[in-house]
Amino acid sequence: MHNVVTKSRDVTLLEVLDRVLDKGVVISGDAVISVADVDLIYLGLKVLLSSVETMEQLRGAPITGPMQEPT
Amino acid sequence: MALYIYGIIDSSDQINEPIYGLDGACVYNISYCDMGGVVSELSEQLQNVTKNSVLTHEEVIERLMGHFTVLPVKFDTVFDGRDSVLSMMQSYYKHFKDNLNRLRDKVEFGIKVIWPADKIKKRIRNSHEKSKHEMPIPDGSSNKKFMREKLEKYRKDEEFEKKADKFINVMDIFFSKFAVEKTLKKLKTENLLLDAAYLVEKDRQDDFKEAFEHIKSAHIGFKFLFSGPWPPYNFVICQRKVTYLKIPSKKTCLFDKLIQHQDLAGADKI
Repeated sequence: MHNVVTKSRDVTLLEVLDRVLDKGVVISGDAVISVADVDLIYLGLKVLLSSVETMEQLRGAPITGPMQEPT
Repeated sequence: MALYIYGIIDSSDQINEPIYGLDGACVYNISYCDMGGVVSELSEQLQNVTKNSVLTHEEVIERLMGHFTVLPVKFDTVFDGRDSVLSMMQSYYKHFKDNLNRLRDKVEFGIKVIWPADKIKKRIRNSHEKSKHEMPIPDGSSNKKFMREKLEKYRKDEEFEKKADKFINVMDIFFSKFAVEKTLKKLKTENLLLDAAYLVEKDRQDDFKEAFEHIKSAHIGFKFLFSGPWPPYNFVICQRKVTYLKIPSKKTCLFDKLIQHQDLAGADKI
């Protein structure tokens, strides 16, 4: 079953970022302090770049074998 | 002292094992009725948002998942003190309670499917070329030619979408057998056929993984990324009306009452 859960470090980090930064309970109100907006935007750009690179790598990898139509 | 919050748990008990959060501070539970907000103290403002701080946030939530039902709170949520956390818990109590009940003993799995979009498009193009040869269209005016090309492009795009729907449908029917909720995003990019999250009962995780393996082996030429089990980030549904009163400027005497409906996260029920 090990081959089922693919956990390449970089890809896993992207999956973490995709969830942690963008999903979950969002709380708003006066008592909430936003700590690092600027850094988050910077991080967001880095995430985007990493995403693009990863997608490019995946796309660039040779695709072998015939494609199958769903049955 | 600022308090960084990681998640809401379905227990008012203290956390037995030592868990260390941001800045290496010990994580503890601020209880409210039968639930709690898990926090750690921040000595000063979080200056740098690094890979480590994001991973620490996730790690704390995953450790909590071992003992409790957890509603993960979005990264970078900090309160100015214990009273603020309690006040927030009071105002969100019903939403948290509903979510905790709904998400008990369930985990999230992520599935991304990358398909060979170029090959699919080429195949569609070839089939259109073939039909053109079989039924040649007589030359017309440049306007007619332009319209014909537009129509052809529209049909090709439509066919591309239909093929995507067909593949997604087959996969989703299979995955849905073992899941209770899902979120599906089709063709975020041309190559990213499907970006999905499925909510699965803990005791059906193995069935779900087997389903994934089956689908993967049936789609040669596609690339799959399977991740999880995750805390249910994509399945926290929390709608709360927040009313803001805008302070009037000197030029106007009217208050503008702005009511904002917050859709904090959405999920489609199967």
